[in-house]
Amino acid sequence: MTTAGGLWLHAVMRDPDPARLTGLTGVGGGALRAIAAAGLTAVVCPVDLAEFGAEPLRGNLEDIGWVEAVARTHHHVAVELSQLGPVVPARLATIYLSDESVVGLLTRGRTGIDAALTRVSGRIEWGVKAYTSSAPRPTPAVAGSGPGTGADYLRRKRAALSARSEAATAAAACAEELHRALAEVAEASRRHPPQSRGLNPRAASMVLNGSYLVDAARGDRFAETVAELASGYGAIEVELTGPWLPYSFAIVPVEETRDG
Amino acid sequence: MADSLALTPIALVDLLDRVLATGVVISGEIVLSIADVDLVYVSLRALLSSVSSVRAVTPQPFAPQPIDPVGPA
Amino acid sequence: MTGRVEVDRDGVEKGLASLVLTIVELLRQLMERQALRRVDQGDLTDEQVDRIGTTLMALEEQMNRLREHFGLSPEDLNLDLGPLGTLLPPA
Repeated sequence: MTTAGGLWLHAVMRDPDPARLTGLTGVGGGALRAIAAAGLTAVVCPVDLAEFGAEPLRGNLEDIGWVEAVARTHHHVAVELSQLGPVVPARLATIYLSDESVVGLLTRGRTGIDAALTRVSGRIEWGVKAYTSSAPRPTPAVAGSGPGTGADYLRRKRAALSARSEAATAAAACAEELHRALAEVAEASRRHPPQSRGLNPRAASMVLNGSYLVDAARGDRFAETVAELASGYGAIEVELTGPWLPYSFAIVPVEETRDG
Repeated sequence: MADSLALTPIALVDLLDRVLATGVVISGEIVLSIADVDLVYVSLRALLSSVSSVRAVTPQPFAPQPIDPVGPA
Repeated sequence: MTGRVEVDRDGVEKGLASLVLTIVELLRQLMERQALRRVDQGDLTDEQVDRIGTTLMALEEQMNRLREHFGLSPEDLNLDLGPLGTLLPPA
């Protein structure tokens, strides 16, 4: 039996009060609904497969406007749900074709999801990015003439080249040190790949894209620590983002449940 | 805490880092699970091609390397 | 060429110019690195070293004028090669 409807998975929780879900809408404007199994609750909303099925999805994911609208709604719902208790959000565009499939996710993944909920309970995530410091512009060549001008030019060029590679090496070393120091004081840490230049013009000089899991009560202290450490590194510019829901440390589904 | 989560302005690139994770999954009666690389290829092409230019763009395989794995995620 | 010349700012022409000049700039930078390595070998006379330097200097100047002629900034001369990064180091 084919169905024109899919279920967009927003997040998995333990036991939210169903009354609190009333009136909340998810991606695509559908009403949030709870599907319970194995002591867990999946929060879903109905979506039209004409827009969210495999083929249309491929096309829609090529549209940055579509991706942005959907991602922000997905995130907004996860934040709303986090007010009702610990949440493991779903990866963007995790779509099921039936309630039974969702139940399957919960029963097969129960141990992992349960551990994830415990891991993120009462915790937040901070993002720390670092970039190679913008180098001062080399002084423009003074148009000169006479003996020695050429040799001077070569000296300047050689100096500029080695300065650039030294800056890159120093930045990488600082990034590594910063990450280790933060990993030490965080409950958990994770480094993401460098970001896409299409979305972040500064991506080419990014040397750190890290996420750090921290007790919510110690969140501000962590942010201060980042600022303190960052001020000691001349070779990098550090940027703090967050606090985030702990996406980088707990997200569903896990690979093993993807057995169709 | 939820208040600060809701009010902090969020850059799309930072949000996508987190919610895309290693890709996108669709499952159900019909096995529609999409290889991580294919889907992220699709989404990254969208993100890169949204910046109009004459520059050549090639897809970037997406392989997060957690240095401190935290168990089943 | 004296000073800036107003050219048709049509995107296509500017895009083509930036592509062509990017390649020229790549060659220029490669030549500079080659030249520095050659000089570092240490067996050239002072006069030879100086001549290499002034030639490269003239090349750089030419490049800047060409670039300005098309209204391009140093950052405009680059190619995004995806996973390989950019063709040229950041300006």
